[in-house]
Amino acid sequence: MKVELYNYIRAAQKMNRRQMLKGTAAAVGAAAIMPKDALADGHGNVRAEILKIPGVGAGSPTDSDWQKVGEMCLGATKENVAEGEFAGVELTFMGLNNQNLHNFLFRGFLKPWEAYTGAKINWIDLAQADYNARLQQSIATGTVDFDIIEMGAPFEGDVLGKGLASEMPDWVKEQIDMDDYVDYLKAPVGTWDGKTYRVSIDGDCHTFAYRKDYFGEGGIGGAEVPKTWQEINQVSKDLVGKEDPLTGLPAHGYLDPLKGWGGFGFYFLENRASAYAKHPNSPAWLFEPDTMKPMVNNPAWVQAIQDVMDLIEAGAYPTDQINADPGTTAFQQFLAGTGSMLMWWGDVGSSARTSDTSVVGDVVGFGVNPASDRVYNAQSGEWEDTMNEAPNMAYIGWGVYVMATVEGDEKKKKAAWSAAAHLGGKDLSLWASAYPSGFQPYRNSHFQFEEWEEAGYDRAYVEDYLGSNADSYNHPNAAIEPRIPGIFQYYSVAEDELAKGYAGQYGSAQETADAIAVAWEKITDQIGRDSQIAVYKASLGL
Amino acid sequence: MTSDGDLLHTVTADTISDARRRTGKAMVWGSALLVALLALWQMAYETGRISTGFETWRPVLYAYVLWAFALCAAQVIVNGEKGKRTLFVLPAALFVISLVVFPLLFALYISFTDWNLASPNGPQPNGWDNMREMWNDGFYWNALKNMVYYVLAVSVEYVIAFGLALLLNAQIRTRKFFRVVFLLPLMLSPVAVSWMIGKSMLEVRFGPVSRVIRELGGEPSFFGSPEIARFMIMAMDAWTFIPFMMIMLLAGLQALPREVIEASKVDGATGWQSFKEVIFPLMLPVSVTAIVIRIIFKLKLADIIINVTSGGPGGATDSVTSFIFREYRDRSNVGYGTLLAIVYLVLIVIFVTLLLKLVSRWMERPA
Repeated sequence: MKVELYNYIRAAQKMNRRQMLKGTAAAVGAAAIMPKDALADGHGNVRAEILKIPGVGAGSPTDSDWQKVGEMCLGATKENVAEGEFAGVELTFMGLNNQNLHNFLFRGFLKPWEAYTGAKINWIDLAQADYNARLQQSIATGTVDFDIIEMGAPFEGDVLGKGLASEMPDWVKEQIDMDDYVDYLKAPVGTWDGKTYRVSIDGDCHTFAYRKDYFGEGGIGGAEVPKTWQEINQVSKDLVGKEDPLTGLPAHGYLDPLKGWGGFGFYFLENRASAYAKHPNSPAWLFEPDTMKPMVNNPAWVQAIQDVMDLIEAGAYPTDQINADPGTTAFQQFLAGTGSMLMWWGDVGSSARTSDTSVVGDVVGFGVNPASDRVYNAQSGEWEDTMNEAPNMAYIGWGVYVMATVEGDEKKKKAAWSAAAHLGGKDLSLWASAYPSGFQPYRNSHFQFEEWEEAGYDRAYVEDYLGSNADSYNHPNAAIEPRIPGIFQYYSVAEDELAKGYAGQYGSAQETADAIAVAWEKITDQIGRDSQIAVYKASLGL
Repeated sequence: MTSDGDLLHTVTADTISDARRRTGKAMVWGSALLVALLALWQMAYETGRISTGFETWRPVLYAYVLWAFALCAAQVIVNGEKGKRTLFVLPAALFVISLVVFPLLFALYISFTDWNLASPNGPQPNGWDNMREMWNDGFYWNALKNMVYYVLAVSVEYVIAFGLALLLNAQIRTRKFFRVVFLLPLMLSPVAVSWMIGKSMLEVRFGPVSRVIRELGGEPSFFGSPEIARFMIMAMDAWTFIPFMMIMLLAGLQALPREVIEASKVDGATGWQSFKEVIFPLMLPVSVTAIVIRIIFKLKLADIIINVTSGGPGGATDSVTSFIFREYRDRSNVGYGTLLAIVYLVLIVIFVTLLLKLVSRWMERPA
């Protein structure tokens, strides 16, 4: 679970001192009465027991907690690995150190694994900002110096497309129970060219957040919360000149970030475009799989860009929106009481009550990515007047991968996969989704809300908030980004062209979209069209 | 001991045998040959002409280091005492060549390749393609055009800096205090300035400056229109670096010969006349130096832009460096990005050379 979300739930529940003490006492009691082996082997109640460490509301988990959880979840490893089997094996793990999570947790989780198996792990910790450059340089200069890597799925094209990773053995698939993954993380998004490489440890998607005080009986935004992008644009235009019920400042509708964000800003145009462009008849909505011809200048995408331009024209955005990136729209605008509708990752909902600058904690509601009342069929080249919903799985999620450096040394290979499987284990991931870890729930079993309730969470909140994630993840028409090399290059150059379009330097939305398409064609040619097509098809499972 | 040659600078003149000379030369040429052979071999391997080779270029590097040592040692072996004198400079020269000239040549090579880090084929030479792309790249020319505006803004900064320097040079109370206060912005990192001012004080909704403007009945917008956004970037950059020009000019003012200024006063010159006819001409060399150095600083402007506007709105505030940053960091476009940087370097060298040539006649104090 993201840290902010955890804090939010704690704040939302207003856990009192007695409850907190109860939780802590239960955790201490459980640890005291259970001998080590019983903890690790006690399959039946491992899930309930680990959720008591350290106990919801008992402060942030520490290294000793992570080690305890790692120890208690060793059961699956013990079924496949004998004690001391990997003695003498040394592995290098490269991952992130964001917010002192990620690798920090992995260290704790893997410490008991190291003690049991006899393997030793060396760590490479990277800041998020350094991660991409370090990874790309390692690949480009042929200096892959790590055996296991924590990596975002969008980078798979760079790594798996070049054959740098090791294919997952069947015993690992069984150990981590892959059938439990939410739908979009299963094949073909969970595989590459039909083969499985990723041990998923996270899920990602954008969800819709709105201000409840704008909508409903007598609300300035109308009686109903908008369900389609067409309605969102209409409401946004109608709100011009009205007053925000909370702050008394001018009211605004949907908040589009109009400034780039190192490539990540493009996800936000995708939110609009997915409803128009992601037709259920094809997984492709950004490039044509046979030619890599960009679809970004087809009528669907042009409509999405046009929607934004219409709102600029109507003066529906706050002043200086042209200089607002997604960080601004979420944290400086929406949470601070400017604007009434937003698409973002989970952080927005979780920060609503805990952030000092947030004033919307009590009036925020969630939903899936809005729909469109018509969808463009790229195959027939026609618009179809049917309601279309396509949640944007922006960034797909983090995974753990074993590199091909372990091939040829069976002992090392088994050790690396065992470590990866331990981190992506079914029980351990439940703990990671319930406590601050940097990861979101990504298995169907993570949405068994009674487990959360038993652990001390407020059921109504968890169900409402995580429900929108679960609905997005399991949506039959989820929009998935292409896992091709250099995907963020495409996004970044699109941001530059969009900035020009939004500033009125192109004649129309179509011209802006055409400029993006030209720039994308250049990147494709530079990286290599044939290889991109092959990789794109592999990622789509075609 | 010889009695010929340069005896003045020679501590011990040693007799060097022909065999020793030959050994020294053989060391140099032998190791040079090794470098050349290894480099050629490796190049043939990398281009697929031969099937065996090293995994990396590291052995060639080791051979180069060996050659460097051999070259240094050979100086003493061949030239004796005279060689030792060479040794005081040679390692430094080799160091500079290794760390400046080689990388520059490598960068030049890269800039004529299509190297994109995401490409599976690595760097492939692509002739003049990058140059042609640059020629048609609206973003690059737009950034260059912005640089002209940014550089022109230096003239305004100069006027302000000169004014401040004159004030601080005057006999005013708490002069030392003001000198320190005026220097403070220079001590701040431009990144801090961009966050504290650009992203906080000028934040449209809750920034204090915006609130004041709203209180006064205006509608704040600092980065909404191209002209104002560019002006705000110039202002923030100026705020940081005016103290730098000011301190240089102040030093110049304090070094002016007092008797000349006093003589002008005795002759009945007014304050303005004394400034126009005496102080300003005398300050020209310092002024030109301050302006040229400031322009060089200005040409590297990037951090504030990257943090505050990312080059927007619509490229209005983009600088060449901030554009190259996006090409490199966000798009891993190493080949093209390097070409842009090299072209920019050449432009800067030409520009600064011409500038120095142009202003050289003012660089010396009038007699």
